[in-house]
Amino acid sequence: MSTVFYDKFERHSHAEGLKGRSTHYCPGCGHGLAHKYLASAIETLGIQDRTVIVSPVGCSVFLYYYFDVGNTQAAHGRAPAVAIGHKLANPDSIVVSYQGDGDLASIGLAEIVSTAQMGLPITVIFINNAIYGMTGGQMAPTTLMGQESATSPYGRNQYMGQPMKMAELISALDGPIYVERVALFDAKQRNRAEKAILKALKLQVENKGFAFIEVLSECPLHLKMTPEEAEKWVKETMSQVFPLGVKKDLTETEAWFNPPAAIFDPGMVMTVIGGENQAPKRNCTSFPAHIAPNDISLKLAGAGGDGAQTAAMLIAQAAVNEGFDATHIPSYGPESRGGTSYADVHIAVGEVLSPASPRPNILVAFNAPSLAKFGPQVKSGGTIVYDSSTISEPPPAPAGVKQFGVPFTGIALTLGKPVVKNVVALGALQAVTNIFPTDTFLTAIRQALKEKAKVIPLNEEAFARGQKAVAKQ
Amino acid sequence: MTTKERPKPFLIPHYCKGCGRCIDSCNKHCITAGTEIDPLTGLVPVNLDLEACNGCGLCIDACPEPYGLSPMPEGVDPSNFELQDPAKLFGEKQSAAPPTSEIPDQIIPLPRVEPLVIKGNYAAAVGALLAGCRHFFGYPITPSTEGAELMAKLLPKLDGFFLQAVSEVATVNMMYGAGGAGLRAMTFTSSPGFSLMLEGISYMIGSELPGVFINVMRGGPGLGNIAPEQTDIKLACRGLGHGNTHAISFTPSTPQEMLDLTMLAFDLSFKYRNPVVVLGDGYLGQMTGKVTLPSTMKRPGIPAWAVYGDAKHRANINTSIYLDETDLEKHNHKINAKYELMEKNEQRADLFCADDAEVLIVACNTPARMAKGAVEALRSDGIKAGLFRPITVWPFPIDLLRKPLEKAKRIVVVEASNGQLEDELRLAVSKAGIQSLPPVDSVRHMGGILPQLEEIVAEVKGKKVAA
Repeated sequence: MSTVFYDKFERHSHAEGLKGRSTHYCPGCGHGLAHKYLASAIETLGIQDRTVIVSPVGCSVFLYYYFDVGNTQAAHGRAPAVAIGHKLANPDSIVVSYQGDGDLASIGLAEIVSTAQMGLPITVIFINNAIYGMTGGQMAPTTLMGQESATSPYGRNQYMGQPMKMAELISALDGPIYVERVALFDAKQRNRAEKAILKALKLQVENKGFAFIEVLSECPLHLKMTPEEAEKWVKETMSQVFPLGVKKDLTETEAWFNPPAAIFDPGMVMTVIGGENQAPKRNCTSFPAHIAPNDISLKLAGAGGDGAQTAAMLIAQAAVNEGFDATHIPSYGPESRGGTSYADVHIAVGEVLSPASPRPNILVAFNAPSLAKFGPQVKSGGTIVYDSSTISEPPPAPAGVKQFGVPFTGIALTLGKPVVKNVVALGALQAVTNIFPTDTFLTAIRQALKEKAKVIPLNEEAFARGQKAVAKQ
Repeated sequence: MTTKERPKPFLIPHYCKGCGRCIDSCNKHCITAGTEIDPLTGLVPVNLDLEACNGCGLCIDACPEPYGLSPMPEGVDPSNFELQDPAKLFGEKQSAAPPTSEIPDQIIPLPRVEPLVIKGNYAAAVGALLAGCRHFFGYPITPSTEGAELMAKLLPKLDGFFLQAVSEVATVNMMYGAGGAGLRAMTFTSSPGFSLMLEGISYMIGSELPGVFINVMRGGPGLGNIAPEQTDIKLACRGLGHGNTHAISFTPSTPQEMLDLTMLAFDLSFKYRNPVVVLGDGYLGQMTGKVTLPSTMKRPGIPAWAVYGDAKHRANINTSIYLDETDLEKHNHKINAKYELMEKNEQRADLFCADDAEVLIVACNTPARMAKGAVEALRSDGIKAGLFRPITVWPFPIDLLRKPLEKAKRIVVVEASNGQLEDELRLAVSKAGIQSLPPVDSVRHMGGILPQLEEIVAEVKGKKVAA
């Protein structure tokens, strides 16, 4: 009796009567043997405390009745995903995904294939008995051609597809390092099965990689055979379709799975998040109330690629640097469809209430459709700045609105970088509205480009050119 | 080798199912099929006649039962033995699972830093990192991907794990595993992906496992589109998979709340051992705002209940199986007691000008911001409007609604859905036994259109408040 089994199976109907010592498996079932070999391997390797077994949905769903290790019961087919969760949570744990053929080779195909390919050191014990046991003898993905079951009552035929050969399939992937198919039908095969399970588990202990052991197992009840007949059937019929043996062996692989412990150093965390302990210098003495008393609404609109969103972000960053609240939201509402990109920005003394800008105080328009569309929405007393390179015939400004044309694109082209036209626009915006001092914008631009310091001078130049173009008017 | 060194097999007939695997394995033909039915089991155990036995042990290897054929213990009369204490028969276990124990969380002070200017999705990711989450599992889906992308960029720098799963179904089960191991795991997803996760969420609730789901809701049904909607309120409040399920569901309306509520979500998820959902909308995910970081961060420990994979947690199990009907009912009562605690302790709402409001606007997520602007506009026109903004849609903050309901003559529910928030409001009011609900109107949009400030103002102004 392996010490890895519980002294008493308390989880088996509260260990009532014989259930405290007796498994729930039917006479002749192969699961009990696979359990014994797994328990023996855990004992041999001295890993009982570290082991977590994930039990599936299927007959082995109650594996946790028996194994005195950490136990997790998974949803149907998902045991490999659950196993990944455990393994990554504690890389020192030894994680076993124990699954049947319905669980692994049907509903859980995506999980087993992707987990195997990932190649984490996890051990999969796959019990293939060619039938659904727990639900009462329906067709399994591994049911043989011609084999009768409750859902293939006339025998499995071509319309039902052919049996899944999982060991071959898994061994064809790059991830696994060890794949073997074993059986239980005689002493020799049982000995091989025991050794294969031990080896698969040892590879995990050595942090080498993913191992997959397919066990051809007997289900006499649903095969409608005696245990002896079932052994014979597996030996003579089933193993013809599912040939036994090692399918893949890269066990000389170097150990590779040794992740360091997660970092919780607050300084490191703050660096990674990008928190700055140095407050940018403030340049504003007060809220730019000359534009609006306590909440300024801006809209920046153009074609995708004009840089309206980046410019909007820079305005929001500038505002927050000055101690105000700010929001930026990209394209909004049904009218945003069709290649246009526009950004709504709010800057508020206290809190921005509504982040949308249906009636902006300031419009920055990068193309004619944007100007035509949003120009009329600008509030009286507001300001429009547009790209005069792309808009040669602007509509007249709405009543009470000042309108300035600045060649954003033209200036950017003379700088050799058309993409900086949004920074030209910001320069023009600053000069026209004096929303924030120049240094406030430049600080925000430098912050945004701190990982691309080389292009800072170009952007500063673009900003200055935008300002100058306004001064000339 | 002597037979003393190779013990003969020993069998307590009650634990023999008579499968006969041992019969074949014995070259000496010591074992034969039984003929007598065991009165306790109704099965027919094999017969052993060990005259010729050489102690090869093959029969023991062939027996599938843990307490079936075993090496003969010394001094035991196999003809008359009942298994009471395995230790007496087989010797003491080398190690019994020690009592479980907890490694406590640590709260670590953070250096003071300047506010960040980041989008809602990023804010939630930063919140998760500060809450001590180092395990992200997810599948990319618009409009939640920025959150996942930021985690993919930052987690490796903190030696955490970012894993792009094969599907949302795999994602939630990886969270089940990592959460089951007692660690803080999360995902970012959006409506169709959230639908796929529901079975797993039900399992997490049944197994009492924590995990944080950021669902940046988008337009549906079906593929719908990637524009903002609030159409998973129904799923979060009433449809978290099969069975008796609930989870605290937050509805942030600013990037700051995306951070704060994500952090809180982790704490509550572990406090109640239940998943927590943060429902953003597509708009909030993209919305950039000022985000002030907290003064502390968390280094999570390992709870006593976790299946961590070490000696201190070996005795634990994560399962949602209770085969016995009375056991399952008892488990559901236990879960219900947790739901009651959450309903009592975790209702959250923000009230804006609600104390004296005659028109009470009810809105959450981004529409609540439009509603807040509308309240301000209406107030400046002399209309007593106010905003009731649920920060939790489950539990619905009904206790906080009672007072404003005393003054309210009219309710206007503003939402980017087909009325899912209004349904929650009406259900909460009904369950609370509140009789005097004033007329309820609505401003609703679907398809990714958000209610606009002007529309809300027009709806409020369009109908006179009943005297």
